Amino acid sequence: MSVGLSHYLVLGALLFLIGLFGALTRRNIIGILMSIELMFNAANINLAAFNHYLHPGGVAGVTVALFVITVAAAEVVVGLALVLTIYRNSATTYMEDFHLLKG
Amino acid sequence: MMEAIAFYVMAAVAVAGALLVVSLRNTVHSALALGLSLAGVAGVFACLSADFLFAAQLLIYVGGIAVLIVFVVMLLGRTSDLHLRQVNEQWAAAALVCAITGAGLWRLTAFFSAAPGGAPHAAQTRPIGLLMLGEYALPFELISLVLLAALLGAIFFSKKELS
Repeated sequence: MSVGLSHYLVLGALLFLIGLFGALTRRNIIGILMSIELMFNAANINLAAFNHYLHPGGVAGVTVALFVITVAAAEVVVGLALVLTIYRNSATTYMEDFHLLKG
Repeated sequence: MMEAIAFYVMAAVAVAGALLVVSLRNTVHSALALGLSLAGVAGVFACLSADFLFAAQLLIYVGGIAVLIVFVVMLLGRTSDLHLRQVNEQWAAAALVCAITGAGLWRLTAFFSAAPGGAPHAAQTRPIGLLMLGEYALPFELISLVLLAALLGAIFFSKKELS
């Protein structure tokens, strides 16, 4: 049984759903950041799979996936700097304790 | 046949690592499982003959982002965290959202089930470089601006307040 495009799409959907569930249910903000990274990876798998099966010989999908990886790196750096600052001010990493903007 | 075996092994590693990320109670173990899952995704890229993406995934994600997350977890962790519940009360609603999203994604996947076979394996690094310095030159420059802004933002947010 050969591996086709739909196998990769199912794998991407599974990773995306696991990441979505984690982002919705985790209490720790670092856990939420890790779940978001899983969702980025699911999107990258889909981009690479579409590039391989629907655009043979081209590299546009792989290039866009590289841009996604770069943006994800920038996002996680800024996000972790924010987490460090919040922890320094409020000594917690749990989402329900972040109510600074609540009136 | 070998490609199918490689795909299934790498996909199993990626999915198992992802399940451990969202289910483990200890955040340090979650971060290590994230590294495992990202390495599995790199293997999936290798199955897709995306050689440059495979190397970039290993260098940036496994070697950079996962290590950075482990650093921050160890900076912020407290031993009392190990006794606290790590999921909130909304898991039923989250499961419902995931089920609906999964049903939609399944319909889309079925739409692509009759796609043609893949391209033969070929080196991709040179075409990517030509594309980035040719047609995609503007996004390439913009992404360097984004990286500069992220660098400055990280320094700005994490420096000590001088009062």
